[in-house]
Amino acid sequence: MSKPKISTDWMCGCAGCHMSLLDIDERILKIAELADIRATPITDLKEPDESGVDVGILEGGINNTANEEVAHRMRKRCKILVALGDCAVFGGVPAMRNFFTLEETLKRAYIETESTDSEGKIPDNPELARMTRVRAVHEVVPVDIFVPGCPPDPDVIYYVLSELAQGRKPELKGELLHWH
Amino acid sequence: MLNVTIDGKSIQVPEGTTVLRAAEQAGIKVPVLCDHPHLVPFGGCRLCVVEVEGMRTLQPACSLPVSNNMVVKTNSDKVQAARKFVLTLIFSDRNHFCPYCQVSGGDCELQNAALEMGMTHWDYQPNWKPYPVDASHPYLVIDHNRCILCRRCVRACGELVGNFTLGIEERGASSMLVCDLGVPFGESSCVSCGTCSQVCPTGAIIDRQSAYQGLEKKVERTPSICVGCSVGCGVEILTRDNRLVRILGLWDSPVNGGVLCKVGRFLPLDDDRERITRPMVRKDGKLQPVSWDEALNVITAQLKPLINQKTHGVAAIASPRLPVEALASFKKLFKDGFKSDLVTSLEEGATTTSASLVAQEMGAFETNLEALQSADCVVVVGADLYHEEQVVGFMIKRKLPANTALVVIDSADNEFTHLARATLNPVAGSESYVLRGLGAALVKLDLAKGTPAGMNAEAELKTAADKAGIRLEDLSRVASLIGMASRPVFVYGRKVNADTLKALVELSRLAGAGQSLIGVRGAANSLAAAQLGLEQPFKRNGHQAVYVALGDDQPSQRLVQEIEGVPFLVVQASHTSRLTAMADVVLPVEMWAETSGHYLNLEGRLQASTPALKPMEGVYSNTAAIEAVAMRLGIDVTVDWKAELQQSPAPVTLAIA
Ligand code: SF4
Ligand code: SF4
Ligand code: SF4
Ligand code: SF4
Repeated sequence: MSKPKISTDWMCGCAGCHMSLLDIDERILKIAELADIRATPITDLKEPDESGVDVGILEGGINNTANEEVAHRMRKRCKILVALGDCAVFGGVPAMRNFFTLEETLKRAYIETESTDSEGKIPDNPELARMTRVRAVHEVVPVDIFVPGCPPDPDVIYYVLSELAQGRKPELKGELLHWH
Repeated sequence: MLNVTIDGKSIQVPEGTTVLRAAEQAGIKVPVLCDHPHLVPFGGCRLCVVEVEGMRTLQPACSLPVSNNMVVKTNSDKVQAARKFVLTLIFSDRNHFCPYCQVSGGDCELQNAALEMGMTHWDYQPNWKPYPVDASHPYLVIDHNRCILCRRCVRACGELVGNFTLGIEERGASSMLVCDLGVPFGESSCVSCGTCSQVCPTGAIIDRQSAYQGLEKKVERTPSICVGCSVGCGVEILTRDNRLVRILGLWDSPVNGGVLCKVGRFLPLDDDRERITRPMVRKDGKLQPVSWDEALNVITAQLKPLINQKTHGVAAIASPRLPVEALASFKKLFKDGFKSDLVTSLEEGATTTSASLVAQEMGAFETNLEALQSADCVVVVGADLYHEEQVVGFMIKRKLPANTALVVIDSADNEFTHLARATLNPVAGSESYVLRGLGAALVKLDLAKGTPAGMNAEAELKTAADKAGIRLEDLSRVASLIGMASRPVFVYGRKVNADTLKALVELSRLAGAGQSLIGVRGAANSLAAAQLGLEQPFKRNGHQAVYVALGDDQPSQRLVQEIEGVPFLVVQASHTSRLTAMADVVLPVEMWAETSGHYLNLEGRLQASTPALKPMEGVYSNTAAIEAVAMRLGIDVTVDWKAELQQSPAPVTLAIA
């Protein structure tokens, strides 16, 4: 049997979940032994194989049309989709902006921030992705496994990866389940 | 007894037991949110639903009484699914963002419940409507985004504190926690007792002092007692790295049952006085840090010649916040060792002399706080329970909805007046006439239960009316409130002199209430100080030196003035003050949270204080400092303090094991 293929991607998050993933330290070799690590933001390959992967992992929520594409692409190309971290699970810190309108948020970010000079301008290039409300991954595509945490603990991530790499469904409970 | 089978376990419970308590008794944990062991069941959150054989729908365990031969399942698939659904609805009702919530990670009962159910997420969206955060209160913050409307705070504020500040306005999805009729928390009738923050299961009411100071799981917890006043409430002191983090009411305490007042809960963490860490001696007009040895040498040289100088020796004054051990050694050192005629406490007997005098005459005449639980009439005489002994005030206020009649007798205005069924405002100094008048009115109304020897009721009534300026109809109205009650309780305070107190004891006997008086006494160890005879007024007169065992107390303006100009002043204190600034020798001692020792509360209950913090090296306990001084002077201060406390008649039966 060939090793299961794992691919990851990130969207509206802070990269912290991927940092936490790297924090599993030398245990990543064990994962590499058990699984075929394919496209990730931290490897050379940038998009999951068109031929499909077994496990797709997404960090971050979905806050614009570009992220929507990433989520749909991953969902289409993977068998098991994992939402990694609080942003992917429910929107996380970026979702705080949902309390304001998109206009208010853009104005605050590009014009009103203390570090912006009088030239502040909201980018309007039509090629840019269109901003949306921040959504959890499962609001856009179906998710199979939720791994909460901000970020999830490396031990949790290692457990999830090693279970998936061995073809099992990770069950988070007890010490492995936390939301902070 | 009723038979009930829960998850296959059969037990017997008394009638009226709820399924929740029965499950507890069977060792089965049913998750709850709105329920709290110290509050009346409310049945609002529905997390505790269980399956009951023969009932069509799931039932809330917290408010369902057991019936005979009931069969209950607390953990079936149906129950599990319902619980998850309940939690999902609660999470999506408002805005819960655990990663940046102060209680996340162990201190949130909502999050804990979800984790216990193995929930990795919930399927619905948060509300996304921004709810207000009310940060107008000096000690507490209400974040409505995290409020689950469990009403624990509302119930605690009403049922335990009797303050009724919190309430719920509107209904259904528009329900909101409100203060009074919708004013900001900081402008409300709240008395900052903090009980609401202690019972809130989520991060909706957090206290500013301890917020983000460390998870409660990571703190050390020390059960101890508050030394803020003579009630002696049980506290739980939370510390981290030898630093105070939070003070909680101790639910198990027989005195206060979990409730605290602002003085016990919040003020200790506001204490920003400078700590004294080294002994100091005045050299060239300035206090200089020295070793204990040197400081004790100076004290010995100055005080030794004053031994046996009754009136021209050392005047000694100690804080009634010191533990009994320290007070007893203090007395032994100065009264027996120095033979000084002025050995007293900072309160100078203000809160205790009346009771001591009456106790000399008639022995113990008071009862304990428990009497308030069943009181149907409470008469408060000369006590300001809004500012002092506040928890006693809470115990009274929470009885009012049960139709307990409150009577306030005070020459001054009193915050309790507006809650009272009746108020009498006698001219200051005429309180005893009013009390005798009330006794006479009881007799006249034929409500008196004792037999008054040779009482001329008409004459007493007339005197009361004339001297106190009280109308006869008011006297008889109050007398009938007292006389109709089956369990009246009389609470008196520091403004009551011995004569008034005697009149009050007589009145209570006429009301037939047995021992039904409760005296509030000021400081944590006022009663102990009184029992040790430390209650005379402080007048320095000819004394050549003053020794103040101040502990962590604050010196009064009057004390500072009285002491000013004394040739030699020793102060043992934990913090700098105007008094230490005047001193010739300063000895560093422990503050309350570092103290191990005993306290005699207003009920005569002996309680131990357990240190939650370690003092800095070189800081002595108050007792050790007194012993060190005594040792140098060759005076033996070992003392059987328990026996010492019982040498004079006490106003209340002392519970000293
Ligand atoms: S109150 Fe509890 S559930 Fe709500 S955000 Fe805070 S930790 Fe999470
Ligand atoms: S602090 Fe005390 S009085 Fe104030 S709202 Fe809370 S429970 Fe009520
Ligand atoms: S503030 Fe806390 S205790 Fe009060 S109703 Fe809301 S969640 Fe319950
Ligand atoms: S009533 Fe007295 S003992 Fe109780 S918390 Fe308040 S100050 Fe402390």
